Amino acid sequence: MKTYFHVDMDAFFVSVEEIFDPSLKGKPVVVGGGPDQRGVVSAASYAARKFGVHSAMPLRTAYQHCPHAIFLEGHPHRYREYSEKVFRALNRFSPQVEMASIDEAYLDLTGTERLHGRPLKAAHELHEAIRRDTALNCSIGIATSRMLAKVASDQAKPNGILWILPGQEAAFLAPLDVRKLPGVGKVTERRLAEYGIRKVGDVARLEPAFLERHLGEWGAALAGKAQGLDAGGWFEGEVGAREDPKSISHEHTFAEDTTDAELLESTLAKLSQMVSRRLREHELHARTVQLKLRYSDFSTITRALTLERTTQLDIDLIEHSRLLFRRNWTGEAVRLLGVQASSLDRDEGQLDLFEGERTRRWRKALGAVDQLRDKFGESVVSVASGLKGVYEEKTHENPAGLPGRRRRKE
Amino acid sequence: MEFTVTKSDLVRELGLSQGVVEKKTTIPILSNVLVEADGEKIVLTATDLELGIRCSCTARVSKPGAGTIPARRLLDYVRLLPEADISVKIGDNQWANLLCGRSRTRIAGMSRESFPELPAMPEVLAEIPISVLTSMIGRTIFAISSEESRFTLNGALVVLRENGVTMVATDGHRLAMTETVIELPEVRGTYRALLPRKAMSEVLKLGQESDLDAPLKFSGDDNHLFFQLGQRLLISRKLTGNFPDYERVLPKEHANSVALGRDELRASIERVSQFSDERSHAVRLRVSPGELRIYSSLSETGESEESLPVEYGGPQVEIGFNAQYLIDFLRAVPTDAVTFSFRDAQSAGEMQPSGGVEGQVYRYVIMPMRV
Repeated sequence: MKTYFHVDMDAFFVSVEEIFDPSLKGKPVVVGGGPDQRGVVSAASYAARKFGVHSAMPLRTAYQHCPHAIFLEGHPHRYREYSEKVFRALNRFSPQVEMASIDEAYLDLTGTERLHGRPLKAAHELHEAIRRDTALNCSIGIATSRMLAKVASDQAKPNGILWILPGQEAAFLAPLDVRKLPGVGKVTERRLAEYGIRKVGDVARLEPAFLERHLGEWGAALAGKAQGLDAGGWFEGEVGAREDPKSISHEHTFAEDTTDAELLESTLAKLSQMVSRRLREHELHARTVQLKLRYSDFSTITRALTLERTTQLDIDLIEHSRLLFRRNWTGEAVRLLGVQASSLDRDEGQLDLFEGERTRRWRKALGAVDQLRDKFGESVVSVASGLKGVYEEKTHENPAGLPGRRRRKE
Repeated sequence: MEFTVTKSDLVRELGLSQGVVEKKTTIPILSNVLVEADGEKIVLTATDLELGIRCSCTARVSKPGAGTIPARRLLDYVRLLPEADISVKIGDNQWANLLCGRSRTRIAGMSRESFPELPAMPEVLAEIPISVLTSMIGRTIFAISSEESRFTLNGALVVLRENGVTMVATDGHRLAMTETVIELPEVRGTYRALLPRKAMSEVLKLGQESDLDAPLKFSGDDNHLFFQLGQRLLISRKLTGNFPDYERVLPKEHANSVALGRDELRASIERVSQFSDERSHAVRLRVSPGELRIYSSLSETGESEESLPVEYGGPQVEIGFNAQYLIDFLRAVPTDAVTFSFRDAQSAGEMQPSGGVEGQVYRYVIMPMRV
């Protein structure tokens, strides 16, 4: 039987802001941008949540709900720094750590009772250690599956620990709303409601075959989840043994729609650099580059290009995304730009006879750049064409540089 | 225009034009072959604007003149005729009337007025036995890039000096270079040109239709290269652009090398590569004292491994290569034994005919795969 911890930082971005500005404590705080800006809420303090503000809500809507909240742009580099601290604390505890996002992690503590004691005692120690190292609160869920550990940590919030005893999985889940199950969103919730299914217990009572018939493969996974099992999507697999991503992308929505070609191209350069940085972090090489262009009227095009050889270098991504942009941009005002790398491969593949030297030199230079960025933030170094495209990095849940994803080779 | 020609003559010469006529029908006249009858012969001309060919055969011309006929259709039809004389007549309405024994056919032609003019051959630069050129082409053509975007690599670099010919082809992953020592007294200094792949394969075809020692007259103007072999003239547009500095990537020295039997090595690689990744064709070569091991990593189809005894006492080195690239060379190299030289998994490896061939240089440089 497995023992998993799910460690989830409490109102992470807001809590980090409070460390730097203690006057924010206890007040409704919204991180993500100004109340009149485009974009969504990245995090809301518990005080703001009382007014119905939640993450992923448009900032303008949040403002309507809670006009007296303090709206902050946020400081992505601080969050990364603290995320790194959390990761180090977790890593001292177990080598089986997987950061699922910047503020949550799974630990596999199976078979560590002799080292850490009973799960609850271990969790208290971990909780203390994180508190000591970061001055931040977190909640910890303990269960026999990762899925259940995640649900448990959510139920434990804020600043709590919840251990679902082995054998009690289904009983614990039964009274919860289906929405509490990871992966169940608005759409699934509505479809289940059509069958009169509202609680997890309702799902558990159904035949898996019924769910599969009505919801497809996803329904089968849902049946497993209702029993407290890891089923479906990435829950299948070991902690830390996450599959390689299928694609890596970054997007930017302009504060104001723009026709400024120079700004657009430098933004493209910046996005390309972020994508290639993440390629290097994952030790992946891309063969396809895709451009995403959204105009003022929300019409969106994506155009892709297959490269002659795989790459993880900024210059190659910049060159090809720019080529795509120049070929496809109509000249109309642009709302959003995105760069995506796909056809990813662990191996570099065929080496080039003439470009080998260039590639080696760039790789060395970019390795140094990555270290600087790790230390001083994303904007510290940039290729010249990316300079004008330097915008305040939006605070979001999927930043470059998740801790524990450092390259290990070379 | 009216003439009579034997079926075999017509089929042979028309066959040579097939590689040249335009396959797409964007410019209809380019699908046609220009037929000119005068004196004791007919001259057939085909072009796709990149490449042109002019050949001729004897004929009994009863009325001189010219016209164009769809090349593909004409050949396909004439091939089916019995071995006999064919009489051809093109009237003012551009229809070609063919008469052979009891067969009678009319083919819709087009006026010769719109057929492009081919450039005239300038002063001859060099005379080279056709066999020298075709064997050099055979040793390099497979390394030419098929990536259209790398247009300067869509052909081979040809360098003429008064004491020899060099031919180099590369796709950026591997490079084949060959040199032949031959006296070319007419060449002053160095003459360099980029020869498109299609022209190279047409030269190979011309070579098949003639004696090994037949002298090929070579010349060039600003935009074209000319190859005349007997009555046949091939004209190719030059590739423009800068061919990469190939001398820079030819390894000056190698840390290690082993001698191998060509056929054995090729057979082993061909077997192992059946189980290599379908997209990358990667196989691994591991050289250790006394042994060369060739193997594929486990893929969905399976895995395979071969071991060849070698005389080798150096360090163990493991390198990934595209199997196809290795096989290409082993198919082209004329000697029974080859030398494989290498440094490490990141550096270019090289294959050469063992012991060399008198008056010839043949080097094949190949970049590894990281797998």
